[in-house]
Amino acid sequence: MIGKTPIWVLPIVAIVALIWIVPLLGLVIISIRPMAETTLGWWSMAEVTFTLDAWTTVWDKFPLAYAAWVSTKIAVISTLIPMVMAPAAAYAFHYLSFPMRRVLLLIIVNAFVLPNQVVVIPLFLLWRDLGMIDNMWSVIIPFAGLSFAWSVFLVKNYLEDFPKDLIEAAQIDACGPIARFFYIVLPNMLTPIAAVAILQFMWTWNGLLLPVVFLRDELPLPALLARVQGVYDNNFDQVAVAAIITTIVPLVIFVVFQRYFTAGAQTKTGSKE
Amino acid sequence: MTDTTTSSVDGPKGPPIGALRLPRQLSQSRAAYILLAPLLIFFGISVVYPVVETIRLSFFEIKGLAPPKAVGLGNYLKLFYDENFMRALRVTFYWSFSATFFSVIIGWALAMACALKPRETMVFRVLIFAAYGVSEAVVGFIWLGIYRPDYGLLNGILGGMGLEHLQQAWLGNPATALTAVIVAYVWTQVGLPLMMCFASIQSIPRTYFEAAYIDGAKPMSMMRHIVMPLSLPGVRVAIFINLLQSLKAFDLIYMLTGGGPVRTTETVGFFMFRESMLNFKLGYGAASTVVLLVAVLIVSIPLIAQRTRAVK
Repeated sequence: MIGKTPIWVLPIVAIVALIWIVPLLGLVIISIRPMAETTLGWWSMAEVTFTLDAWTTVWDKFPLAYAAWVSTKIAVISTLIPMVMAPAAAYAFHYLSFPMRRVLLLIIVNAFVLPNQVVVIPLFLLWRDLGMIDNMWSVIIPFAGLSFAWSVFLVKNYLEDFPKDLIEAAQIDACGPIARFFYIVLPNMLTPIAAVAILQFMWTWNGLLLPVVFLRDELPLPALLARVQGVYDNNFDQVAVAAIITTIVPLVIFVVFQRYFTAGAQTKTGSKE
Repeated sequence: MTDTTTSSVDGPKGPPIGALRLPRQLSQSRAAYILLAPLLIFFGISVVYPVVETIRLSFFEIKGLAPPKAVGLGNYLKLFYDENFMRALRVTFYWSFSATFFSVIIGWALAMACALKPRETMVFRVLIFAAYGVSEAVVGFIWLGIYRPDYGLLNGILGGMGLEHLQQAWLGNPATALTAVIVAYVWTQVGLPLMMCFASIQSIPRTYFEAAYIDGAKPMSMMRHIVMPLSLPGVRVAIFINLLQSLKAFDLIYMLTGGGPVRTTETVGFFMFRESMLNFKLGYGAASTVVLLVAVLIVSIPLIAQRTRAVK
């Protein structure tokens, strides 16, 4: 913008941002002060002591390390699957002609509107009959399956700008349709694949509904947090540590790669042209 | 492979390329299905099957492990007369529209303010957007601390301002619980419309502002006459994204209130969870999921139309 901007802009935005960050700040402060000091509120300044007690004791109190391991397994596998399959599908939809192509494509890319709730009852019955309740695949399969609704669209969008000449040249050089994908398209799709990976990793790490429904003991971090915050009401400082552990990985990824998320949210809701 | 004639320019001796025998290639459709097969399996299990099965189950009464009993439209009729479901429906609309309204209005206003000083406000934008990156389970824990009746931040602030009579159990009082949850939800959501509106403002060509400046326009009138109308596409996208996300809301409600007190914060997305997973009325829960599905589909008609036009 051009011209002299009003001086109140910066202070106002700064104040709003500080208010916005206060809840997060409180979480950190609760975790590094003794419980006795923060029972009257984490902001009370009567006595200020720094301690890492909660940070050291929490590991024995809750199965936090195990939940972190479960979270990592679920998020990594649920992320790897679309990283490979979405580009393959996007390539097939974009460059190959085959019966039902348009119908399949429209069904897949429009499924992004479906709420997660839709899978709950049918998959609960299916997993129960297969004895797969409390098995991490009961969560990974729908996480991966639901991701294709936006990931295929995201990668295919990117292919719109991919030079068609390269594909044709490879075809003339006797490179078959599958080889063309692996040798020509895949190596040049690292950018959208990274975008898919970042978005999917965060969404699967944070997911609460499916783990709560399908898992019992093998709980990922958000589900563990949901369980302990009700049961261990007296250990506010330890639960605060658990909350920080739960969100630190996705939060760092989010802040570092934030520009992917504005673009990604648009792709997920189909508004990106 | 049509330009065989140009390839024989080098000399008449070499055979034209068309005469070369290329190794046989896989047919396109076979290759396509090989590449698509794994995806179709995952998609079939976790999207197609559940949608079809949810609709089918919604016509049955299922109690525990007993064989399902067909009840036709019985579940839907029961939903219609179920006070709790009708409340959940109202809560869902109230929740979705108010959360979307406030997230987008606040985000848009902040985006315009930030656009006046894009460089200086970068850190602040990231701080506000960061709330969107916090796991909703953690958001729930944080706001539980704020709303606690005994030593919560909100009651603490009210006490500090001498407004003790306003202090209350924000999440335990049916009159305030829904608003309290919506405020926490808006806190997480504002960053997204902020970033999207900001991006859309940044893409306004600089020449518009130069022209306005030469004509003597002040920043505020540039805001009113250039930025506001031209950032509307970004606002529109933000509205749809927020609506679609909030219609499906579950995580935050599960963490903060569990639908209570007296089911006043229960959305349809949470109602189906309670009926099917806590009360084990799976057919009934399925019927409520179908209602949610229809609501989501109605809201997304423009998005679906747009996407259907966009994909080739």
